[in-house]
Amino acid sequence: MHKLIFIISVLFSSTLFAQEPYFCSSELGKIPIQQGGRVKPLYVHANETIKYVTGEKKIGDYDAVTAFCLLSLQGMGLENSLTPTAKVEHVDLKKFLGMQPSDHTYSLKELSNQIQDIRLEWRQAEKDSSYQKSLSAVLGQVQLYNDIIAGNNWMIAEPAADGASWFPLVAFLTETKVAAKKASGSLTPFKDLLFESATFYSSKVSDQYTLEYHFAKAHLPGWAMLLSLLGLASLVLFKRFNIALIFALSAIGVETALIVFRIIISGRAPVTNMYETVLFSGWGALLLGLIIGHLKKEKAFVYVGLAYNTMTMMMMNFATGMLSDRISPLVPVLRDNFWLSTHVTSIIISYGALALSWVLANTVLIKRSFGGGINAEDERYFADLIYTCMKWGTVLLAGGVILGGVWADYSWGRFWGWDPKETWSLIVLMIYMAILHGRYTAWIPPKRFATLVAGAFMSVMMAWFGVNYILASGLHSYGFSEGGAIFLGSFFLIQISLILITGLKKNKLQRS
Amino acid sequence: MLSKLHHMYEKFEATIGSLKFAVIIIALFSLVMTVGTFVESYFGTEFAGRTVYKTWPFMLLQFFMFLSILFATYQRLPPKKRLYGFYVIHAGLIIIGVGSAITYLAGIDGNIHLPPNTPARQIMLSNDVLKIEFVNDEKVYTYNLPSAAFETHINHKFQEFELLDYLPYSEKVFTWKNELKSYPKTAPRHTSQYMIANAMVSEKILMSIHPEADDAKSNMSLGPLSVNYLPEALGPCFVKNNPSDVVVWNSTTSECFVPEDQGVSVEKTTAGNRFFVLKDNDKKRLLTFFPELSPWPVNKEMQVIQDSPYRVFSKQLFKSKPTLFVFGPYHAYFNKDENQWQGGLLEEKKSVELPWMGFELTLLQHQATKVPGFEATPIIPIQKNGEIIKGGTRALKIKIRTQEYWITNEKGLVLLVDGKKVELYLTKETLNLPFEFVLTNFKMDKDPGTNNPASYESFVRLFSEEGPSDHHVFMNNPLKYNGFTFYQASYSQDQQGNYSSTLTANVDQGRPLKYLGSLFLVFGAIWHYFLNRKRWKKKADLIATKDDTTFNKMNTESANA
Repeated sequence: MHKLIFIISVLFSSTLFAQEPYFCSSELGKIPIQQGGRVKPLYVHANETIKYVTGEKKIGDYDAVTAFCLLSLQGMGLENSLTPTAKVEHVDLKKFLGMQPSDHTYSLKELSNQIQDIRLEWRQAEKDSSYQKSLSAVLGQVQLYNDIIAGNNWMIAEPAADGASWFPLVAFLTETKVAAKKASGSLTPFKDLLFESATFYSSKVSDQYTLEYHFAKAHLPGWAMLLSLLGLASLVLFKRFNIALIFALSAIGVETALIVFRIIISGRAPVTNMYETVLFSGWGALLLGLIIGHLKKEKAFVYVGLAYNTMTMMMMNFATGMLSDRISPLVPVLRDNFWLSTHVTSIIISYGALALSWVLANTVLIKRSFGGGINAEDERYFADLIYTCMKWGTVLLAGGVILGGVWADYSWGRFWGWDPKETWSLIVLMIYMAILHGRYTAWIPPKRFATLVAGAFMSVMMAWFGVNYILASGLHSYGFSEGGAIFLGSFFLIQISLILITGLKKNKLQRS
Repeated sequence: MLSKLHHMYEKFEATIGSLKFAVIIIALFSLVMTVGTFVESYFGTEFAGRTVYKTWPFMLLQFFMFLSILFATYQRLPPKKRLYGFYVIHAGLIIIGVGSAITYLAGIDGNIHLPPNTPARQIMLSNDVLKIEFVNDEKVYTYNLPSAAFETHINHKFQEFELLDYLPYSEKVFTWKNELKSYPKTAPRHTSQYMIANAMVSEKILMSIHPEADDAKSNMSLGPLSVNYLPEALGPCFVKNNPSDVVVWNSTTSECFVPEDQGVSVEKTTAGNRFFVLKDNDKKRLLTFFPELSPWPVNKEMQVIQDSPYRVFSKQLFKSKPTLFVFGPYHAYFNKDENQWQGGLLEEKKSVELPWMGFELTLLQHQATKVPGFEATPIIPIQKNGEIIKGGTRALKIKIRTQEYWITNEKGLVLLVDGKKVELYLTKETLNLPFEFVLTNFKMDKDPGTNNPASYESFVRLFSEEGPSDHHVFMNNPLKYNGFTFYQASYSQDQQGNYSSTLTANVDQGRPLKYLGSLFLVFGAIWHYFLNRKRWKKKADLIATKDDTTFNKMNTESANA
């Protein structure tokens, strides 16, 4: 090891790369790395880990890949000038660390030194309190940080009998290897060794990770959001339907590419975590909106498709704390592509279709109260529009619930086990069924229909997010992630307020 | 009269089959399910089943839903073309309902645990039973316990066993009980509770030498520290720093002394073993003790004397490792730094320092003759991450002749009734398969570079009348045999790293009907909603645009016209 540090110091003091960032650069992002149960480009891994540890995309002036590389080199005794910090928001945690209330970051080096104290504090903190959760989060960040600066987090491929073996950076860059490389005349032996590993892996094992590199670099969710938003703006603000249609089709194109890429990279239907279900429902809703709009020659469907699609794309781009775009291996029970791609996709598209009815219903509510009112005949027609979307949603949902029962019977031996996720999907179906049946009675006239449909979507949100964020139990707990309870609470609050406000306001064009 | 009944039935049918009733029953069904999911989230799956999903009111609700569907369909006969989709959907629902009822009444659902290379044929079902096993007669009596959520009074008598209260969810609460048998007055049988704590950890320990104390021990280890609980009368002798480090105990009088007190000296044999001789005045004999070898004395022929009241204790054996002796209100330990035995009297609730890692010892309570035990108290269970973390103990109070006992699923009861051994325990009902399984191999794949299971697969050999056959059971690939279906459910690993596998086993006679009904439902829904299309006419603009194109021009024009 000492000799290696000597080589490094000689090398870096006698060349152009005499100082930081040594051989580290964003170029290294193309190298394959094994972490979290699969092979991916360093670019993806470095961005994920740096974001997780520091809450930022960069450290100082260095991008995630360079920063990840520099921190990893610490494991070989190579110092750097980085001062990585973790985000600290919890008031009690700030107090514990002796921070000022106005400070929001704390040095990771310091946290790493205090890890024993933090662990002790975690043990003594009230169980499951927000303080203990914030301590767990910090412990997780420090642990990963320590793993990175020990040079152990960067796993590099070496040829082996059955493809490739993976070694951490410190074990990969041995002094014999570096010396041999240097002796062969290389001026940049470290970089050459790393890229040799990449060349070996892509030529002998698989080069699929390079696809993921280009995919990650393309930032498709951002483009999709932009196109969808422009489409919506053209329709609502500028009243240009043809332009909106072009944007809608482009958004569908980009989102289809996004979905196809994720299918190729993960090798499965893109409906296995919250991020993917949001993406898929937005895509499905826009597609359905375009299809129904075309069949019925009604641009309102394109409008709701775009509106809902814009919302989902915004969630994917901005609610990154709640929706992680990480591609991870699946728990064994989900590893069946046929059922996954039929049961889950039909449920998710049904949620998309029900979301269309929800956007339409809310639009009607707002138009009725704030847009000059709606006359009785138009009210009936708009109810028909809402009904059309609901029809698609309920049929797809019924199919999805049944497919779920069949899948459960096939893999667990029972159709129905009153698991919260399956029960909630049935509750959603029942609520929409009650509305559909009630429509034939005097209880639900067209003007009450919109209100009920707008409210009914809360059950979809409960089944979709609430089971994981609020109930979080039962067999489907693999979808659990933190931080969504506030999102869901706000959603319910806004929807209920909207219903109440529009309910109290008079419809100018109708006698009540 | 008959016409009145007929009229009443018609009214009933019309009400149940009406759309308004459908709306009410569907809404009610959703509401109860919503409550159920929250109950499940707080108190666990089983508790939710016992309070919501598997209760008769919820079953009744489902039955009325079934009736509503049935009558609504019946009322719309003879068939009208417009309603073909409706008939198919509702027929599907009726078929699913019948299928589910068959499964509920006749189906079997359980687990079979397969240890490696061990034949197994027993399926564990989900209902709880009490088993009374008459060991000598090889007879087992089984009583089915109710699937209750709360405390239930059973009041069932079987021979001299009277089943009293059943607590499906309970917590053990510590109590002091009176002793059942009578003992000589001086016989030591006390129990104490201590607290051993330092800044980091604290532990309450209960120690007893009472022969009836099944839930407390007389020795235990807390990490590297071992704690021994001895009769109270020994305490004063342990803190004496007598040179021989030997303590003698008279079990008849419950007194202790050290050899030095009686002017007896401890000698060494040629082999280096320490020994000393005491005079037994009652029986006029000499007792030779080898304190490092045995607590019992030997006679001249080196035979162990069993009837001697004296026992010997060599403290030398406990000098090297941290050992704490407690004697009710006394304690003693060897302090290595000061090279002497220390300790003394313990005052209740007052702590004394121990020489290890800042530990302190406190006597919390001391009982001379009472027996420590546990009472079960009813509690509502709490679940976390799919596991019951509180209230997971099932308990049954049982009276045998005059005495009452608690039996839990964690601890049964072994008794002698009229000299015959009887074992009582709470367990799950079991079912023996007409064939046998052996787990020949278990394979688990992990995600590369992690410890997360990617898949787990059981290789089983099935022994039936037709001879052995090999099968491969894994996730989404069940084994079907003889009406049973076996699914890969979970696995466990023992300390040697051998895997055991658990399969779900079930028999579901309603399965074909449920599949058929599902097919009806899906096709009916498509038929009803998409093939029955009404003519669509655009009447209004929700979104007005400037560039009405072919996309909607035609409609707006026709609407305007």
